[in-house]
Amino acid sequence: MMFDLMVVIFVIALVFGIGLGYVWRERKRVNLGRVTFAAIIALIFLMGFNIGSDNVLLASMPTVGVNALVIVSLTIFFSLVFVKIVRKMVKLE
Amino acid sequence: MIKYILAALACGIIVGYSNSKLGDVFPNRFVSYYLFNACLIFLLFVMGFALGADKEAAVKIRKAGLKILALPLTIALGSIVGGIVSGLVLRIDLFASAAVSAGYGWYTLAGPLMGQMFGPEWSALGFMVNFLRELLTIITVSVMVRVDKYAPIALGGATTMDTTLPVIVRYCGSDALMTAFTSGFTLSIMAPLTIITIASFR
Repeated sequence: MMFDLMVVIFVIALVFGIGLGYVWRERKRVNLGRVTFAAIIALIFLMGFNIGSDNVLLASMPTVGVNALVIVSLTIFFSLVFVKIVRKMVKLE
Repeated sequence: MIKYILAALACGIIVGYSNSKLGDVFPNRFVSYYLFNACLIFLLFVMGFALGADKEAAVKIRKAGLKILALPLTIALGSIVGGIVSGLVLRIDLFASAAVSAGYGWYTLAGPLMGQMFGPEWSALGFMVNFLRELLTIITVSVMVRVDKYAPIALGGATTMDTTLPVIVRYCGSDALMTAFTSGFTLSIMAPLTIITIASFR
């Protein structure tokens, strides 16, 4: 399915980064803030690009919009409440 | 930060929309697939690097241990309950509304899969609900992080292993990277399984 090669590449990139960062830790400090910021902005822009050029998505907005908004709001709300409750019971840092 | 994020999102939507109306000046697949994923892979690498170099983060993760799995399971349960409640509110098929919520934000999966399991009329809803979840995660991250450190991860659901991960780490800190990634990864595996399971109960 769509859960494919990309996910494997994501994990490899992450693990490779962690490993390299671990090796690097005793050396000179590098400030990655700016680089990450630029990449995040590019990522969000591209995400917007995908949304804007998705005609099927835009066309379905008026018909399912209200129902979708209600469902997504309640879904988020309950996820948040449940996480809050569990955080009280299980101590997570 | 959030100003720039919203501006980038708005610009992207406008440019994408114009591009498709002008007949794909920039090939859509190139932009949405290659550029987007290249960006994501780069970010995962850089954020992994920052985590690896962070001495305190390793200690925090080791302390969390298996408890890290409590988070995605809780998010899954909360999402499904939210789906059932909204089904009651909207007076629509409860199984379908629960299944829609069990996409956990993974809209490219939830759309087609809802269509397959529940019929084409649910496909658009499955797509839209989960798409909005991803969008809201990014838009509200600066507010949510004040509600709870893990609130953005709860909102993000399955998307916290890729698209929303960079923004979450930016706001929640480097030590939230593994928590967010594990949570998103677990929920990504659970999404198709729970949607199919809910459909089979119908």
